Amino acid sequence: MPVISLFAWMLVIVFLAFVACMFEDLESDVGSQSNPNSQVQLAPEMGYIHRYYNKAISGEGLSYALACTIAGTIALLLLLQFEPTYGPKAAILAIPVGAAVGSISHMIRSSVCYPGREAAHKRFEQPIYLDVFYGHLVPIATHNFIAVICITAIAYIQSHLTVLSGVSGTSNPFPLPLLCLIWGITVGAIGSSTGDIHYGTEREFQDRPFGEGRRVIYHGQICRYGDCGIRTSKDVVAFCAKYGGPATGLTFGLIVLFENWRTVIGMMLGGLTGAAWNPGIAAASGVGLGIAVAIVLIVLNTWLVRWARKKYGPFVGE
Amino acid sequence: MEPITLVIILVCIIIGGMLGSLGVHLLPVGGAPAAMATATGIATGCVMLMTGSAVTGLFTASSVATFWESNPSVLLVSLSGGVGAMLMMGFTMLIANLIYIFGAGVVPVSGRAAVDPITKESQTEYKTPRTDGHGVPNVCFYSGIVGGFVGGFGGALIYVVLVSSGYAGFSVETAVVVALGIFIANAIMAAYNIGGTIEGFHDPKFKERIVTGLTCAFVISLMCGIMVLIAIETGTLGAGGVL
Repeated sequence: MPVISLFAWMLVIVFLAFVACMFEDLESDVGSQSNPNSQVQLAPEMGYIHRYYNKAISGEGLSYALACTIAGTIALLLLLQFEPTYGPKAAILAIPVGAAVGSISHMIRSSVCYPGREAAHKRFEQPIYLDVFYGHLVPIATHNFIAVICITAIAYIQSHLTVLSGVSGTSNPFPLPLLCLIWGITVGAIGSSTGDIHYGTEREFQDRPFGEGRRVIYHGQICRYGDCGIRTSKDVVAFCAKYGGPATGLTFGLIVLFENWRTVIGMMLGGLTGAAWNPGIAAASGVGLGIAVAIVLIVLNTWLVRWARKKYGPFVGE
Repeated sequence: MEPITLVIILVCIIIGGMLGSLGVHLLPVGGAPAAMATATGIATGCVMLMTGSAVTGLFTASSVATFWESNPSVLLVSLSGGVGAMLMMGFTMLIANLIYIFGAGVVPVSGRAAVDPITKESQTEYKTPRTDGHGVPNVCFYSGIVGGFVGGFGGALIYVVLVSSGYAGFSVETAVVVALGIFIANAIMAAYNIGGTIEGFHDPKFKERIVTGLTCAFVISLMCGIMVLIAIETGTLGAGGVL
C-alpha cells in the first residue's frame, strides 16, 4: 500500500511538472524572453517597428531559478512559522504566498526590461507603447505564477515525501529552496530549448514559407500583423499554446516521470527498505533502467529523423 | 584528515570538472539561431543546457546517495547522475525535433557535415540555403546523449565526494552548492572556448578546441579543489568543513 501511495505522489509531481513547464514556455512567449527575442530586439534596426513585448531579463533558466528560489524561500519561512502549530496544513498557505512573491518579483523585473530596451531603440524610431507595456504585465505575472506555484509544490512534495507517502527514506535530502533552484534551472533550460522553436521559427516568421529553416537574410524581419490588426505578444501565446507549450510541458513531465520512476522501481528491486534492503542493487537497477530508456529514445529519434527525411524529401526551392 | 583522502578529493574534483567541460563540448548547442532553425542543435546556450541537465542528474544522484546510511558508492551515485542528465538531454532533443518537424516542417540536418558520420545519411541536399543547418540530426543526438552522460557523471562525482562521510563529509546543502559552483565555472569556460554554436564530436570546432577547453577545465578545477581542501582543513565551512 505505501508503494502505491509513492507512485500516486510521483504522478502528482509529473502532472505538476507538465503544467509548470507548459506555463513557463507560454510566459516566455507572452513576455518574449530568451532566444527568439533576439529577433524582436533586431526588428527596429531592420526598419520593422513592432508591438511585441520586449523582455529578456536573462536566460530563462536563470530568471526562473531566481523566481522559484524566492518562492521556495518564502514558502519555507512560512512553513517554519506555521508547521509546528498547524502541521502539514501550513503548506496550503505557504506555497501560494511564496509563489505570489516569486511571480511579483518576476513581474517587477519584466516591467523594468520593456522601457529600458525600447528606449534604447529610440534611434530606430521604435516607440514605447504604454498599452503594450501595461497590457502584458498581468499575463506575464499570471503565467509565471502558475509555473512557480507548480515548481514550489513539486519541491514541497519531494522534500516531505516520507511524511506524505508513508515510505521511510523517500524524502529528497535537499531543502525546499534548493529543490526550487534546481527545478527552476531545469524548467527554464527545457522551456528555452524546446518551446522557443515554435515561437522563433514559426510564429515570428509566419509570413515566410513553411517548411524551411529561417535564412539569415530574414533575421529581424518579423511578422507584425495578426489575424485582425497588429500583432502583439498576447497573440503569440495563443498560437504557441496549441503546440509549442504543451510539447514543452511534455518534455519536463517525461523527464520527471522517468527520473522518479526508475528510482522508485530501483528501490523496489532493492528491497524497499527493511531487512532485505540492498542499496547497491537499488542504485544499479535504477541506472540500468535509465540506460534502457535512453536506448529507446535513441531508436525513436533515429526513426523520427528517417521518417521526416522520407516524408519531406530534399529541399526544394531557391 | 588523511593526506591520501585529500588527494582523492582533489583528483575527483579535477576529473569531475574536466568531464563537465568535455560534456559541454559534446552537446549540440545552436544558441539563439537554432530557435529560428538557422543553426543545427538545441536552441539555448551551452551553460544553461549543461547546467539544466547536470542538476537533473544531481537530483537523482542525491536521492540515490541516501540509499546508504553512510559512505555511498561513488561509482553508482555518479552513474545515477550521469544517466539522469543523459535522459534529460534525450527527452529535450527528441521533443525539440518533434517541434522542428511538425511545428515548423523542417528536416533535421547537420550544417557542418556533408554526410552523417554514423548513419551515413547525406545532409547537404536537405539543408535550407543560407542557414547553418537546422534541427537535431542523428549524429548530434548521439553526441548530445554522450555529452549529457559525461557532464552529469562529472557533476555527480564532485557532489558525492563532497557529501560522503568517507571523504569531505560536507552537509548536503554545502556539497550541492560547491559542486554546482565548480561545475558552472567549468561550463562557462567551455562556453567561452566554443564561442557560439557547436554540433558535437563531428564538428571541426571540437577537434580544434577540445584540448584548450580541457586544459582550462583542469586549471579551474585544480584551483577550486585547492579551495575546497583549504575549507576542509581550516573548517571554513563550519566545524571541520561541515555546515
